[in-house]
Amino acid sequence: MTSADPGSFRDPASRIVFQDGRIIRLLDPSGLAAWQRLSSSRFHGRAVDEGRLIESSQIEHPPAGAAGAVEHPRLPMITYPFEWTFSMLKDAALLQLDLLADALGEGLTIKDATPYNIQFVAGRPMFIDIGSFQEYREGEPWIGYRQFTRQFLFPLMLRSWAGLRFQPFLRGDPEGPTAAEMRSLLPLWRRITPAGLMHVSLQARLEKKLSGASVRDDLARAGFSAQLILNNVKRLRDLVSSLQWNAGDTEWTGYVACKHVGRDRDEKASFLRQALSRGQVRRVLDLGTNDGYFSEIAHDAGAMAVAVDGDEGTLEESYRRLPGKAISIVLADLSNPSPSQGWAGVERRSLFSRSDPDLVIAYGLIHHLIYTSSIPPAAVVQWLRRFDSRVVLEFVSPDDEMVEVLTANKRVEELHEDRDEQGFRSILVDSFEILSETSLGSGSRVLFELQPR
Amino acid sequence: MIFAYLDPGSGSLLLQALLGGLAGIAVAFKAWRARISGKGASAAGSTETDALEEQAVSGES
Repeated sequence: MTSADPGSFRDPASRIVFQDGRIIRLLDPSGLAAWQRLSSSRFHGRAVDEGRLIESSQIEHPPAGAAGAVEHPRLPMITYPFEWTFSMLKDAALLQLDLLADALGEGLTIKDATPYNIQFVAGRPMFIDIGSFQEYREGEPWIGYRQFTRQFLFPLMLRSWAGLRFQPFLRGDPEGPTAAEMRSLLPLWRRITPAGLMHVSLQARLEKKLSGASVRDDLARAGFSAQLILNNVKRLRDLVSSLQWNAGDTEWTGYVACKHVGRDRDEKASFLRQALSRGQVRRVLDLGTNDGYFSEIAHDAGAMAVAVDGDEGTLEESYRRLPGKAISIVLADLSNPSPSQGWAGVERRSLFSRSDPDLVIAYGLIHHLIYTSSIPPAAVVQWLRRFDSRVVLEFVSPDDEMVEVLTANKRVEELHEDRDEQGFRSILVDSFEILSETSLGSGSRVLFELQPR
Repeated sequence: MIFAYLDPGSGSLLLQALLGGLAGIAVAFKAWRARISGKGASAAGSTETDALEEQAVSGES
């Protein structure tokens, strides 16, 4: 059965369809010509070998209606830029610039510049849209420059220069902030730096002044050349490299040093290993992963892990520590996960419709949902049941020292029912069968391995 | 002229010349002068190709 990827339709020359679990890219005549040009270049082979560009194998007999088709490997997990940390978006930006410079060296260009064309595979960015490459024609400017600033440069500047998280901006508007919006968002002393003046203030002014004017021919006649793009790309590379964000101590970076974490960690690890050894586990969804320790255990047991957390600081540490491992890092607030959005409300899929786990890890999680986000325990259990997979869950009783901290400023009547162990068990058994359980040393926490009923 | 499915933004295109260094500043100046002196592509009267291109790129990416 063939179905179109609802996120691949903007480029008429090249679009993705799913066919019996395979990822097929259909090409029209111009897309096919561009692919043949790309695949015959030295740049292509090199970029694929280095893991910077997705592999493609040409299909001999393309489906009816397509001039050509190629097949790509299936990626473990699709993530979106608003689910990335600062360093992930920065590495993606550098990859975009490096590929453009390398491509121009062989007479090719990249016709757009969106982070949606990049995915993280084994912790490193990989460019996945081969349809973005086409022959460079002398005199043409870089069509993707504005998109690069809005979707890569400006979000990084927001974090580095204005102390603002870029993810809510990119989730709210996938096109990214405009130059005019950036002018309002950046502090004055950043706006008057050379980069601030050119990419932000001057771009905003020129955009307003020249709106709708056709300047491509004017530039070609005036002698525009690929060298000018290369000069710009080189400077942009230096600029992006200079943008820093030091996560410092965020709310969760010191979590591992907490007394209860160190005390229970070995028991939680062996309980997880036991669950991993039961049946075939290919995909693990680690909710509230913190430093990624349990995702690594799942990875070492042969599973592909998706490590989700709402704290950018801890995920930054994991991102730096875990390259080479098939662990997908996802920044998401579990009380407000990424929705289905974009064109027709389906262009970008919701976080949990992309994850499809065989096993869910919910360690050190549910008490934060119940006490911090005020989600009723029954709603938490129903939510976990919807993954339709086994769950290893850590229950934390109301007399736990951590819960006492979380509820320090709450009155008893403001807390939900069924938060004690007896009430929680009665909810659990409605939705799950308890395969195994063990009490942790502290006495206030219990691990459950659950099978959906 | 190649087809752009993405709106590159007219101002952002001209800015690129300026961002290309000294040689680029000369190119931007020439393109700008052609525009204000009425010799620019659109100022000189849009050709059919230009009009089609304008239509093609008028939608946001």
